[in-house]
Amino acid sequence: MHIPDAFIPLTQAAVYWVIALVFIALSLRWARNEMREEKVPLVAVLAAGIFAIQAVNVPIPWGTSGHMMGAALAAIVLGSPFAAVFVLTLVLIVQGVLFGDGGITVMGANIINMGVVGGFVGFYSFKGLNAAFKNPYPAAFIAGWLSLVVAALVCAVEMAIAGTFPLELGLFSMGLYHAVIGVIEGGITAVALYLIYTARPDLLKSPAGVTA
Amino acid sequence: MDNKNLLYVGIIIALVIAVAAPFIASSNPDGLESAFFGIFGAKEIHGSELDEDAAGAAEEQVQEITGNTFSFGSPFPDYSIEGMEKAGEALAIAIGTLLVLGIAFGLGRVLSRSD
Repeated sequence: MHIPDAFIPLTQAAVYWVIALVFIALSLRWARNEMREEKVPLVAVLAAGIFAIQAVNVPIPWGTSGHMMGAALAAIVLGSPFAAVFVLTLVLIVQGVLFGDGGITVMGANIINMGVVGGFVGFYSFKGLNAAFKNPYPAAFIAGWLSLVVAALVCAVEMAIAGTFPLELGLFSMGLYHAVIGVIEGGITAVALYLIYTARPDLLKSPAGVTA
Repeated sequence: MDNKNLLYVGIIIALVIAVAAPFIASSNPDGLESAFFGIFGAKEIHGSELDEDAAGAAEEQVQEITGNTFSFGSPFPDYSIEGMEKAGEALAIAIGTLLVLGIAFGLGRVLSRSD
């Protein structure tokens, strides 16, 4: 879902950058106020793992492929949507600057879609579903799926505003592909949450309220 | 598992994924690219055949629509290292993984609370 430079006019790209910078500032405030020193290794490992897993494009039907985004996982494990903004911003900067994966002028839009939308949808849908199901793993699966699909639909709206995609066809095709890719997102989110909980239950006690 | 082991196990898992990625990843267009090629007539939305010529034309066409011709020569475009094939990609992704790890760890140490 990494938008390349050519897909968005510069003025619109600048607006997305301004919005993204507000969330980046809030994520740095989260790191300063909420990130305890003992959680730093987990944050670093999550960021590195998310970077690596984003390189694994899984084939889906229709000659297409997709990879995990990781925002829901970061937000659930670290207990804040701003944690996802923090982690995904780092990942997207390295991807864009070093590897040309995702544009530079449009990086703000990519941070909004994958970090902000992915993180907030993933975190709050997990919270609600976990309270309803009393089981974090199906909640994490659905939250992961939703985080990717909603981020893709927001991306389609941005493409429509940019004049790149017609709105309906953009929403349809982005929704179709990412509804399938979302199964990968949900699956890995649930499995990774289980593995991290098994290794370090103490790190997950608060505040997302994971109980297994 | 203490914090040190968590860090080591996590780094190993991330590096294994990074090195394996170029060998197991699909080179099909991703969801956004596929939607783009579908909308610009280089492939069917539900089809899997990509018309390479039409795909190239689509990339020029979209620049005309948005007027954004910004281009940036990244050092390792598409996770490749010049002159190296898959091994170069594995190396590039591993370097990226370690770089993200280092930045996140350093920034985390600077920003985090110590209580």
